[in-house]
Amino acid sequence: MPEPTVTVPFDVYRYDPGRDAEPRYQRYTLDLTPHTPVLTALLRIRAEVDPTLTLRYSCRSAICGSCSMQINSKSRLACETHVGPELERHGRIVVEPMRNQSVLRDLVVDQTPFWRHYYEVEPYLKLDPAHPMPEGKPTSMTPAEVDRFMETPRCIACAACYSACPAVEADAGFPGPMALAKLYRFAVDPRDTAHQDRLLRIQPNGLWLCLRCHLCTDACPKGVRPSERIRDLKEMAIAAQGATEQGSRHAVGFKESIRRAGVLNEMQLTRRTYGLFGLLGQLRQGLRIMRKKPEVIRRPHPIEGVEELERIYEALDSGPEARK
Amino acid sequence: MRIAYYPGCVAQESGKELDRATRWVCRALGIELVEFPNFSCCGSGFVDEANEVLNVAINARNLAIAERSGLNVLTICSTCQGMLSLANRRLNDPTIKARVDGALKPLGIDYRGTVTVKHLLRVLTEDIGLPAIRAKVRRPLNGLKVGAFYGCHLLRPADEMQWDSGEEPHSFEDLLDALGATPVYYRGRVMCCGFPIQFVKSETAAAISGRQILEAKSHGAHAMATPCPLCHISLDAYQNKAEKAVRQPLDMPVFHLPQVVGLALGATPEELGLDRHLVPVDDALARVRPAVA
Repeated sequence: MPEPTVTVPFDVYRYDPGRDAEPRYQRYTLDLTPHTPVLTALLRIRAEVDPTLTLRYSCRSAICGSCSMQINSKSRLACETHVGPELERHGRIVVEPMRNQSVLRDLVVDQTPFWRHYYEVEPYLKLDPAHPMPEGKPTSMTPAEVDRFMETPRCIACAACYSACPAVEADAGFPGPMALAKLYRFAVDPRDTAHQDRLLRIQPNGLWLCLRCHLCTDACPKGVRPSERIRDLKEMAIAAQGATEQGSRHAVGFKESIRRAGVLNEMQLTRRTYGLFGLLGQLRQGLRIMRKKPEVIRRPHPIEGVEELERIYEALDSGPEARK
Repeated sequence: MRIAYYPGCVAQESGKELDRATRWVCRALGIELVEFPNFSCCGSGFVDEANEVLNVAINARNLAIAERSGLNVLTICSTCQGMLSLANRRLNDPTIKARVDGALKPLGIDYRGTVTVKHLLRVLTEDIGLPAIRAKVRRPLNGLKVGAFYGCHLLRPADEMQWDSGEEPHSFEDLLDALGATPVYYRGRVMCCGFPIQFVKSETAAAISGRQILEAKSHGAHAMATPCPLCHISLDAYQNKAEKAVRQPLDMPVFHLPQVVGLALGATPEELGLDRHLVPVDDALARVRPAVA
């Protein structure tokens, strides 16, 4: 018996910047089985209803990463998103191009910045010319070494993470989750000889603009978890170079504030992050807030048992930044 | 119900109104808050950036304090919620567990992993339940359109979330509906407030918070409400910066979660610390309780 069909309304973003004054949404209604992928539906619209609908796709198997788009406001691969659950949740299916990239036409975006950030992290193994890999012999890694970056090679460069990232949206200088996850993959590869250089070059606009909001990790169709790898890179950068800029100074300063009192000393941390001179720049806003919330300048009482924290730090935080 | 109260740093200092409103609401709903003066800060995501295992250890210490009393933990901050539950998850990794135990056991701290960390939003919607809350509403928030703003660490990573839905959450909107308010759905409700980079690049942080406030406003919200005091700092205390970033006035009052509950349950604005906000909430209050001539 054939699977019963449901009537699915699609609202598809249509825009040709060369011809249209502004984007519009076009309604198409199809009868489909709930398991139909959104991509199949769009290709049917293009074949049977509207040959001008423009989209990118290739493998139809969630391998090539071409058909990423916004489906009901979430970055998804159209080939693996079924119409049934979307319809159930939203009552219709709104299809839009990926965010954070300019639209070339309809659902096709200009990926140039995305790829530029990717190439800037030099996503390939860098070897020391003095110690080339032995020719004809495999270079072995331990399973534990491989485990450190097992997730990241799964990336299919679909840009779902880039589209979902609020830091990219607000700051074009931020490389985005995918490029940083790729950077991580090489920064922990034991065969790579440019670890320090990689960490050094990515700052300051790179790591520390990550909001750790995990929207990239949720968006990734391949389970790469970029936000968690960016966290790893931050810890590696601090271990390698110390707290050299505002983002890392804040993280290390926060850590030390907890060591001393068990709770945050807002005033002290602000001074540490900005430096005394930078603190003056914050004065006006600080005074504004203080009028309503005078506690911001108060030194909090240490918690009971703060000496336990000192012992925990002694056991686990012996890095070069520990006592600064 | 009895639960270990984990107020977090902000609610004890610059966000005292959140602590005040929480205590009022919990009293009204019969939630007994058990306090522990030895709880430390959760690290707010910043300690995690500097040293992952250390961050797990300080939070395992916090969780062990509650465990010794046989209590679960109540948080009132999305970030505290995220960090404490992250510690629970990370302790499933035997390597991390061994290092954390190595630091805690010499102090006589042995965390067995039995504590559930619950945000107030979850306790209200799951443990107390919407029918019980609805029955206690004394001042329905009819006519007030409220945009919930969840805060990242309450929702994500979504695949590790134990309740509601990280991708399409509805608990806050359901609660607002129970209070008589009209929830406003907008994309930004699950987005980031920009707080983590406030100290790195304040203009970018302001652009991010400005975008969310503007979107709530364009969907008709009279006010926003958040279960996270860090989001509250971005959305309220730094709203003037957000206005500069989006080049227009926003005038968006922002409530803490228990303030909006307390208001509906009959608390006075003073009892909820509403006078401590940077953006006045008067216009929103006027919609709830018409001024008596």
